[in-house]
Amino acid sequence: MNWKTLMVNLLIALPVVADDFKTANALYDAGRFAEAAALYEKITPSSAGVLFNLGNACFRQNKLGLAILHYERARRIAPRDPDILANLKFAQQRLGVDEVNQPSQPFRRFWTNVTASRTQVEWSWMEITAWWIVWLAVAGGIWLPKWRTGFLLAAAMAACVWAVATAALISRITSPPEAIVLVSKAEARSAPVPLATALFPLTEGTRVAIREDRGEWWFIERADGKQGWMARSSLERI
Amino acid sequence: MKHWLTWVLLLAAAPVFAQVRVTATVDRNRIGFGESLMLTITAHDTQTAPSVAIPKVDGLRFAGPSVSTSMSIVNGTVNQSVGLAYQVTPSRPGEFVIPSLEVTVGKQVYRTEPIPIVVEKGIPQTDGSQLVTLRVQTPSQQLYLGQTAPLNVQIFARSDAPLKGFAGFSAEADGLGYQYRPNLKSGTYIEGGVRYNVFVIEGAITPERTGKLHFGPCVVKAQLTVERRGRPADLFERFFGREEIREVPFTMDAVPLEVLPLPEEGRPSDFSGAVGQWDLEVTAKPTQVAVGDPITLTIKISGTGNLHRVSAPKLAGLDEFKTYDPTTKTTPNELNTAGERIIQQVLVPKSAGVKQLPVVRLSYFDPIAKQYKTASHPPIPIVVQPGAGGQATIVSGGLRVRPEEKLGHDIVYLKGAPGPVARVFPPSAFWLLNVAPALALLGALAWKRRADKLRADIAYARRNRASRNARKQLATATDCEQIQHALQTYLGDRLNIPSSGITASVADERGLPRAVREIFETCDAARFAGVAVDTAALKQKVQQVIDELENTDG
Repeated sequence: MNWKTLMVNLLIALPVVADDFKTANALYDAGRFAEAAALYEKITPSSAGVLFNLGNACFRQNKLGLAILHYERARRIAPRDPDILANLKFAQQRLGVDEVNQPSQPFRRFWTNVTASRTQVEWSWMEITAWWIVWLAVAGGIWLPKWRTGFLLAAAMAACVWAVATAALISRITSPPEAIVLVSKAEARSAPVPLATALFPLTEGTRVAIREDRGEWWFIERADGKQGWMARSSLERI
Repeated sequence: MKHWLTWVLLLAAAPVFAQVRVTATVDRNRIGFGESLMLTITAHDTQTAPSVAIPKVDGLRFAGPSVSTSMSIVNGTVNQSVGLAYQVTPSRPGEFVIPSLEVTVGKQVYRTEPIPIVVEKGIPQTDGSQLVTLRVQTPSQQLYLGQTAPLNVQIFARSDAPLKGFAGFSAEADGLGYQYRPNLKSGTYIEGGVRYNVFVIEGAITPERTGKLHFGPCVVKAQLTVERRGRPADLFERFFGREEIREVPFTMDAVPLEVLPLPEEGRPSDFSGAVGQWDLEVTAKPTQVAVGDPITLTIKISGTGNLHRVSAPKLAGLDEFKTYDPTTKTTPNELNTAGERIIQQVLVPKSAGVKQLPVVRLSYFDPIAKQYKTASHPPIPIVVQPGAGGQATIVSGGLRVRPEEKLGHDIVYLKGAPGPVARVFPPSAFWLLNVAPALALLGALAWKRRADKLRADIAYARRNRASRNARKQLATATDCEQIQHALQTYLGDRLNIPSSGITASVADERGLPRAVREIFETCDAARFAGVAVDTAALKQKVQQVIDELENTDG
């Protein structure tokens, strides 16, 4: 699909999306949360607002694991939206998984929060901008030796920003996909078979990293580093 | 001096007077498959080393020999012997016979007695069974279905036992839901004057069916340090000692257990399957609310027993409240023999007439007291104010006012617009934008270097523009003089010399192509002798010369 076709399709789709969105909001207001959720799910492409409202509809149906899943998806699109962050935290607190979903090591927790604070596209633009500033400053230092110190200082600062943005990008690209536990009681097992030893329990709303995919079983890792096998039916990829 | 001579005479005379005797012995007749034994053929009362032809024995492999000599003098009698030691390794379990061997000492031939040996399938049980014993420790041999009871396996190892550690543990516990912690607890114990090191494998059982069940047999593989048999194999072994670690299994017979069903007698109507000893702790927050505001009722159940069978207590009198499904957080200990479960129930009072929260009751079966018990908490009083907090309010005109939402108590309301969609940065654009500044800077640097060189190096600058200038002049030239001037300009620039001084002879001196001289001569003939010249052909010839020189390096 080329850009023109994409734009035409978007222009046609926008009014339809807006209509469905308003209808779903009205259903939500009327307390018909299940119907609202079904309508939100039909809307494509899923935007941050649609996913946020879908999360709210799930929350009102007391499907807190699903609500967390949709809030997390919304956060991937709009990572600094205060409403999304507030509802995500609230739902996690209700399920008692807000601490479980955070890495235990302080630096890892800090870095996870840093990388999650921007989308991949935002990190990409930051990296490119800083990169261009570095090269322009180097060029300025060569052609305008009178201002060399200033240019080199600017280049050094831009290089620092570039390093952070690059590290964040690499971290985002190389980090494994994540999933949310959707069942109230789940257990991570020592092997991808139902009768394997249960290693540790997982509660609804827990976020895990998918380390290996073996069809019906995923090898997962919790934020605290504990690993085990889980049936795919208990989880949904973010 | 006299005594020393006596000894020498005795030693020299010994072979003459002694009768040579040959024996074959093994260090043990019964070994386990995987072990080796030592076969020693000794020639007594001689200093001559025997020679032996070892026959082939099916299933036995002989390695060696190593030769040893010994001499002793007892009550003036000299005993000498020479031994040949072979390491014998079986290739399968079974019974074997080392046949009579033909041994030659000097010129005399002797025969040894056949030696039977038995190779058992496994490592034979040593007398270590007295060193390590296993026992089971459980509160009672009578259990109830659904009960979780601790069951520890104690390993008593005598303090003088050469115990290095444990290599494995297994237990049969069909229907008992047995699980254990991998880490051992250790301590000491004295019984009958004997000191034991005690290791405990902590575990728990949760019977899954009623009837007579058995725990065990269970096996612990202990690592014991044992002396290696036979002669030292090498210097390394002699230096560092001859101990080896051997895994020896120790077993414990099955222990009978009786699993009873939960009694029908005295069973409360609200009993939901909890077994153990449980305490109840109930809190509510906030206790002063407006109609429609949520109250979080927190029920904490803690104690010992099977936490997985404890479900949320059913609350009576909920008609006055709007309720949501409770959330549960369970924290059992590693063996699920104790722990706590926290249940949070959101209750929203429907009217200002509500004065208290429902009574919380938990009925459970206590397997120690062998009876049903009920833990309860009295109703918590609350104050409910009339009002519309948290509820949608319809005002005149039919406009719906957006509900007031409180962070920390409720979720943020819906978004009014779909907002941004997920975007992807095209990888090709990403890489292009990353490579572009580097390429641009490198290009600019190259351009700057060239400009600097053109400014600083006149010869390079002239040479650089020679062809371009000559072609321009040649394009506008209409007669021989102008054509010759174009060629002179080109050559002057190329050779970095004044162009006006370039003649045919200069061209020769500089080693230029012959065509250059011909062009000069043609032009001179046209200019000074009035010879007619085809200017187009001449221009083409000049062009060819320039091309040729341009293609020539230097």
